[in-house]
Amino acid sequence: MFTNFISRAHSRRKFIQSTSALAGLGALGLAVPGRGIASGHETIKIGFLAPLTGPVAAWGKPGLDGCRIWGEWVNADGGINIGGQNRMVEFVAYDNEYDPAKARTGATKLIREDGVVFVMMLGGDTWPGAQPVADRTGVLFSTLLPSDLGPDTTTLLAPAEVHPIYNVTGVAWLAENKPGLKTAVMCAQDDALGLPSVATYLAAFEAAGISMQQDPLLFDPATTDFAPVVTKLLAQNPDIFCLDTCYADYVHPITEQLFQQGYEGQIISCTADFYEQMIEKTSVEFMEGFLFQFPDFDDPALNESFINFPDPNKFYEVYNERHPGEWGAVSWEYASIMELWKSAAEQAGSIEPDAVLAAMKAGGKGEHAFGTADWWGEDLFGIDNALVGNWPVVVIENGKATVKEFQSIPDWYASHGELLKKHMAAYGQMWDQR
Amino acid sequence: MIELIAQTGLNALYAAAYLSLVAVGLVLIFGVMGVINFAHGELFMLGAYVVVALYTGLEMPFVLVAALALMFVGCVGLLMEFAMFRPLRSNPLGGLVASIGFLVVLQALVSMGFGVRMEHVPPVTQEVIVFSEKVRLPVQRLAVIVAAALFLGALWLFLKRTRFGWALRASAQDPEAAALQGISIRKTSMMAMFIGGALAGVAGALTAPLISVNPNMGHSVIVAAFIVIIVGGVGSLEGAVVAAFAYSFIHTAVTTIWDGVIADIVGLLLMLGVLIVKPTGLFGTADRA
Repeated sequence: MFTNFISRAHSRRKFIQSTSALAGLGALGLAVPGRGIASGHETIKIGFLAPLTGPVAAWGKPGLDGCRIWGEWVNADGGINIGGQNRMVEFVAYDNEYDPAKARTGATKLIREDGVVFVMMLGGDTWPGAQPVADRTGVLFSTLLPSDLGPDTTTLLAPAEVHPIYNVTGVAWLAENKPGLKTAVMCAQDDALGLPSVATYLAAFEAAGISMQQDPLLFDPATTDFAPVVTKLLAQNPDIFCLDTCYADYVHPITEQLFQQGYEGQIISCTADFYEQMIEKTSVEFMEGFLFQFPDFDDPALNESFINFPDPNKFYEVYNERHPGEWGAVSWEYASIMELWKSAAEQAGSIEPDAVLAAMKAGGKGEHAFGTADWWGEDLFGIDNALVGNWPVVVIENGKATVKEFQSIPDWYASHGELLKKHMAAYGQMWDQR
Repeated sequence: MIELIAQTGLNALYAAAYLSLVAVGLVLIFGVMGVINFAHGELFMLGAYVVVALYTGLEMPFVLVAALALMFVGCVGLLMEFAMFRPLRSNPLGGLVASIGFLVVLQALVSMGFGVRMEHVPPVTQEVIVFSEKVRLPVQRLAVIVAAALFLGALWLFLKRTRFGWALRASAQDPEAAALQGISIRKTSMMAMFIGGALAGVAGALTAPLISVNPNMGHSVIVAAFIVIIVGGVGSLEGAVVAAFAYSFIHTAVTTIWDGVIADIVGLLLMLGVLIVKPTGLFGTADRA
């Protein structure tokens, strides 16, 4: 391994960009002239502008890997039918390293040089960088974080994930199924992903009658040793320890610390990426009941008729064959956005942003991966560009993530929306405060 | 409350242990060579990746892997001395800039070889010493504390009781006078880089099962180490150890009482306060400051 990489004189970025591009082309069968392009139809290029390196890469790179599988399947099935013409799809990736400036450069490159017609992003801190490019070009963008939405973001959609609003479903499920849990503590990294999630969990706990024993503990994203954080929070003897929307780099060491410091209560987290590793560092018994929000796609619950995702079990199988142990929260999400975009483009008979957007939002409803959902968000984000419906509550049982229930986010919001707005405002997370 | 204080003390002891190893190596390099090695955090990172490659990947015994990490990163230190710092010996600023460049190179090499994701390092042991319900010390953390004490003790003996150690100290105090006495500055520089690199490498290896291992993990360690050597007195090994303990206990206590963000601010204020009151640091002397 060492002799292999020492002999190369590339920079990291150059290496990753070139391998990403080569792998993407290879995976889609587009690197070889005579396959996708030989059909004579113009390829549809989709931009993938997310962190592929750095601490947030776990919410970018697995999504690109999922998109490549989705793209292969679509191309093998004849491509995307636009106005009677089948066209292959190709993903062009740009690593924004979760940096706004790089996101801006990437958006410009993808649109101006690569000619992409749709750009998928993780969003968060990187959206402000890309927004001027989106506004200027009118190209349709998607984000996984609806907290990026505002009245002016007319070409930005949050069609896969209503982070962090879906976190309310986990707390609501706990309140219904484990009513003895009455107190909670929470920690989160102090950033654009952590803070709106903190506000959401606070609203969910308040709605569920669960009291916070102290203010959420915000830690510096540069933290490496979480022992003091866990010691401080466990001193309160909480029934629930909430890990908010911490990155995997934090969820793992915090969970390990909880194990080492003898915690025996309930753990709830937005994500549990690579949870098998956490089990190895703790134990099956310790991780039993760990609640989070992202299912493995081999779960039988994903075979229900209301699920709008092509063959989830097969997708999970292929993904794990190619990327063993790398299944994470976003592995399916960008692919599910593409499924929605493909459906809208075919319906519109066009890849033009306005036409696709209109087709996607027709009737105010959309086919979200977890069932038919509503285009929503005016109340919270100032624009109805978030696709909101059901979301799964996932619990680790016998070392395996298991979907316990799909809960309705709109139903929760109808009862407790004011609470959510109160806490969002307190943390400066309403669209008019950001 | 007593349990909280006791657990905080154990947490701080662990932090002080690995930070001492990193900071002492950094001070040794600066003391002998007059170079601020910005890539020292990446030497810590390299030690952790030796564990990823050999312990996680090849399932070799952890103790053996830690020893190999010590040797390997020490040799990387030698390479840095030979290829970077020696040609730039008359230009300390050049050495600093070169170390920044080497930092990026090491990160890139590790990213290319292992990827950019957090690496999984299985626990060496899950044994925990339970003092009471809320006072616990995982054996892995105890091992870091004990190993740091042994390495620092061995270094102290080496510096105080051996001819090589005297040569190192002489070179650190006055390189020209040392050279006039027949001490080879080239050899002492090599020795300092090997020891400094080895200490950082073994610190990274020992802590790898306890922290998130990724190519950027050296950043936070090097920031803390710089604060420590400035507080302790640039060039003072004793100062580095004392300051590592002071910084770790203060940072851990503030994190436990308030939060980590405030702890970082307090850490920087500590450095600022020392610079105002005693610009040479707690144990520093004017000629090294």
